Amino acid sequence: MPQHTVTWLDRLRIEWVVWSLDQRLYDLHPRVRVARRREVRANLLEAAMEVGAAEAVRRIGNARTLAEGFRAAERGDGPRYSWIAATTFLLTAPLLFNFFLDEAAKAYQQAITATSPHSDGTYIWSGIAWLQSSVTIVVHHGEATRSGGAWTPLDYVLLLVGAIACGRLWRALPRRSNTAA
Amino acid sequence: MTSSHDPQLLKGVLSLLLLHLLAEEESYGYEVAQRLQAAGFADVLEGTVYPALARLEREGRLATRLVASSSGPARKYYRLTAAGHQALADGTAGWSRHVASVDAVLNRPLSATPPTAPQRGS
Repeated sequence: MPQHTVTWLDRLRIEWVVWSLDQRLYDLHPRVRVARRREVRANLLEAAMEVGAAEAVRRIGNARTLAEGFRAAERGDGPRYSWIAATTFLLTAPLLFNFFLDEAAKAYQQAITATSPHSDGTYIWSGIAWLQSSVTIVVHHGEATRSGGAWTPLDYVLLLVGAIACGRLWRALPRRSNTAA
Repeated sequence: MTSSHDPQLLKGVLSLLLLHLLAEEESYGYEVAQRLQAAGFADVLEGTVYPALARLEREGRLATRLVASSSGPARKYYRLTAAGHQALADGTAGWSRHVASVDAVLNRPLSATPPTAPQRGS
């Protein structure tokens, strides 16, 4: 028997909890997220009708803890995969790697211009072995221009492997169900 | 009724309690939590029960179905599967053995005067 009237403010409060929970379930399958949202919302509304929205929200606890419980229920207690970690690696590793390659090529260029600043010519550096294509430096009237130094296919492979390792993405592969019929 | 339980101890038996409650009667999440609280586990909050139900469902010990409710959104009812009944039987037997073993130790008589602690040299 409902003892409390659920107002729009109460509904907003419940929706806030559901939304907060859902944001923390980002790495679960969308179907699972929808199911959890619906279930928690229905239970919260039921609880709000019985004990009031404030008490219902208090009793469901912290959204972070609840989400961790749901994620552990779905993925197990051990280390889990992380799309965020993989994405962070994919975004930051190329920046650092490009900086490193550029500095290496720049050092070679500066070595040329420092030792013979007025000798025009074309200089070719083979680049960092396996990781970089050759770098061509043209010096003309003391001004040096640089071209080349692109990534090799190995760099892309390393980037992919790094992202998988960083995000432990092999754990995202569907597991064989061990449920009994 | 007990008002508080050791959280670590409760964590180990929560699944067993939920399986038993759901074996008694098919229920939805909030109702299970209410029944658990009515059984004396007043300090077990809904936020603890819902993930435990989700875990049992993932493990194939619970099956679910949605039932329309007149008072709000459809409720997700949980019931035991065959694996759930088996887990309940195994868990109950294990718990009985555990209780018997613990009782056997706790019921041993203690000496009247506790031994004095050895004194440290200065």
